[in-house]
Amino acid sequence: MADQILDQIRTAVEGQIDFEGQKLAELIANVALSLVGAIAFFVGYLLQDIKLAVWTALGGTALTFLVVVPAWPFYNQNPVKWLSAGKALDLSNLVVNEKAAR
Amino acid sequence: MYSSLVRLQNTFGFFTTVAFVIAAFIAASDFASPRAPSVATLKTTSLQVVRGRPHYYSSKKEEYAIIKFSLDANLSSLFTWNTKQVFVYVTAEWPSSGAEGNATNQAVIWDTIITAPSADHLSNLGPASLKKLRKSAAGKSIDPSRGLISLKNQKPKYQITHPSGKIAETQDVRLRLHYNVQPWVGVLAWNQNVDYGRWKRLKGDLSKKFALPALKTKAATTGAAGTGTKA
Repeated sequence: MADQILDQIRTAVEGQIDFEGQKLAELIANVALSLVGAIAFFVGYLLQDIKLAVWTALGGTALTFLVVVPAWPFYNQNPVKWLSAGKALDLSNLVVNEKAAR
Repeated sequence: MYSSLVRLQNTFGFFTTVAFVIAAFIAASDFASPRAPSVATLKTTSLQVVRGRPHYYSSKKEEYAIIKFSLDANLSSLFTWNTKQVFVYVTAEWPSSGAEGNATNQAVIWDTIITAPSADHLSNLGPASLKKLRKSAAGKSIDPSRGLISLKNQKPKYQITHPSGKIAETQDVRLRLHYNVQPWVGVLAWNQNVDYGRWKRLKGDLSKKFALPALKTKAATTGAAGTGTKA
């Protein structure tokens, strides 16, 4: 029983996502942070307020972390299609190290 | 990006890069805003040379000069969104006599720190004065009017001496205003002698020449004037 709970926790913390999801996560992170940076600078420059620029940048970054770090469902839309067990190889005629066998 | 931890690490890494780039842009924006500081008045109002202990812990008696002055300056263009505080100081300088070579003697007589509203919480003020300071900015993010300095017959912060112990009757002394702009991010800049692009040099920063007076020859000179040390 404890094993099952621990397993659930481990899965949640590990946050594994499929490959398409990983590409998406990286793209979102880069675009979001660049945008946040540009917005923060212009907001600060136009309003001549450096504290506002800093808080905007930090807030936007926190939001980005929230979107990118947890394993949200939309990162798992393209799961890897593994082949079923035992069907891939025909083991009946498999010979290993033919020379030694003679 | 295969696990939450990796995504956390990579995102944080890019965040630091973005933060650095923003800081670089903010620092560069300083060069785009013009600086034209000027001094309207810088003159002495009272001169005095005393023989005694210049500071409470001075071990020997020497001559020290007390130079009171008036200052009217406009440093408001130094305050941009990137200005944290401006350090302003007045020095007395005079050329050395032939025996000492080509050195110029320079000593600070007064200084002050002018914080921008974004840095008020860093100022060295008690709670009451801090509240007054914050109110004076009236919620504005920058307050160039803090750069307007007007001092009348200001008592100096520091008494100045000369290594020889004698400073009375020094000739060709002048007061000079200096400033040091301390930004949030970017280059640390002092008053400059030439114009650099949009940053103009400080106009009128030198006072007229004056001479320090002779010692007062009072009969009852008992050690340090104004301090409580025993003679």
